[in-house]
Amino acid sequence: MSGSYVEQNHHDALPKTSHDECARQHFVRSFKEHLVTSIHPGLKTAYEKRAKISFQKQHGRDPSDIKDVASVMKHDPHYQAWSSLLRTSQEMMWSAAQIPVERSLRELAASAAKSEGGQGTLRLNGDLKIPDYHTAVDIHCQPGGYHTEYIADDVAQGAIYDRAVYLYAMGQMGPDNADMGDSTVSWLQSQQPDFKPQRILDMGCSVGHSTLPYVTGFPEAEVHGIDVGAPMLRYAHARAKSKDLEVHFSQQNAEKTDFEDESFDLVVSHILLHETSAAAIKNVIKECHRLLKPGGWMVHVETPPYEGMSPFDTFLFDWDSENNNEPFWRRSHELDLQALAEQGGFTEHPTIQVMAPSAFQETQRSMTFQGGDFGGGGVWFLYGCQK
Amino acid sequence: MSASSLDSDTVSLKRKAKGKRPFYFSDSDVDKLLTMVMALAGELSVTRDRLDTVERIAASKNLFSEEDIETFELDSDALEARAARHQILFREITRVISSEIEELDRESSSNYDQVIEMVESEGGRN
Repeated sequence: MSGSYVEQNHHDALPKTSHDECARQHFVRSFKEHLVTSIHPGLKTAYEKRAKISFQKQHGRDPSDIKDVASVMKHDPHYQAWSSLLRTSQEMMWSAAQIPVERSLRELAASAAKSEGGQGTLRLNGDLKIPDYHTAVDIHCQPGGYHTEYIADDVAQGAIYDRAVYLYAMGQMGPDNADMGDSTVSWLQSQQPDFKPQRILDMGCSVGHSTLPYVTGFPEAEVHGIDVGAPMLRYAHARAKSKDLEVHFSQQNAEKTDFEDESFDLVVSHILLHETSAAAIKNVIKECHRLLKPGGWMVHVETPPYEGMSPFDTFLFDWDSENNNEPFWRRSHELDLQALAEQGGFTEHPTIQVMAPSAFQETQRSMTFQGGDFGGGGVWFLYGCQK
Repeated sequence: MSASSLDSDTVSLKRKAKGKRPFYFSDSDVDKLLTMVMALAGELSVTRDRLDTVERIAASKNLFSEEDIETFELDSDALEARAARHQILFREITRVISSEIEELDRESSSNYDQVIEMVESEGGRN
């Protein structure tokens, strides 16, 4: 045995699982792996050998956009089976992560409330309005979204999310789900070796799995994390403490924070932008510009834009828009990111839009993005700008 | 079982994500059936994993090894008991198919709507 199976690292905030609860979670991970490696490749065959030919017969030309591909693929039995199974795997993932939390939530909440270690802080704001783009549907099908609270000092949504991220990425983001943060830190350190941020903000930090790499990567910096979901932040705070790392978490909307002008050297986010809205994304970029000191950087980690992708690849990559409660996914991948930055005030420098290599290289890497294989590509899309 | 049994401390969480659930096959019942099949496959896998744990613990404590299992020969009584259990299992799984035939075989069988009419009718037989 190679011993290369990546299990999530234990920490004090992580829900404890029984033997069978854990086995159920690992089944979901294996199920997702099977879909990626054995079912997903057949989609290309089904398209080339069946759906595309059917389209050509009907229209006398090749499919030229996502709508053309959808018009035939939605009727293809292999696509139907893959979609049905992928949607099922997503629901099973949340369910398998919920079961131990449902059983032990009171204990988890009590334990998080008295967690010790590190010098980090937690500042909640019960009056914060949860934005409509969070409450309209439960994003990526997590029942209750990022914000729902069931009991006092609730951590349920965070506790579920932490385990689900590991299962969703099938361990490909490393044992601490840290790959997005780690990869961005590595990119900054290699591309901007003289950049030494003293104050860092992670927007939409959820459980802080991408935030902690900045604490270890820039040990001299003061690191802040904001999110709209209180259960995420309570859990993130306990999680950081259990690892003895200092982060200052506060419940805020990234569109408008209470931090002072020009008070950060680095503002980052990790798969936040596609979970906002056409109006909100503009506000977020503006807020980044306001918060940054001259010379500071904003860097948003995302999945790559659709531009340049074939109609077939775009169709598959777009699956989450309509099938995984990611309503802004499509539009966010079609935006003119240079114009977006300029509208937000970033006129000092051109934007960077690059594919940065993953910092976590233990698993086989396809170097491409495909539906149902989050974190498996071995690259992240970075969108950013220096002020 | 204590770990998964429900008790008074259990907090009921929302189990359905807000947002319309898409279906993919022309008959959404196929999607539902596939979802149930995968859930069953999951539970089967959980059981197999538990057995695997038992075997590994047994081997580590020198109780019995994987080879003991592979080379274990069932005697006739054990085989018979197992075969009987298989039949019960199959009977339960294929119950819906068999019951259709059982119904066809029944000498007289009233239309269910007629039964409702019969019991609802105050002037009818009691």
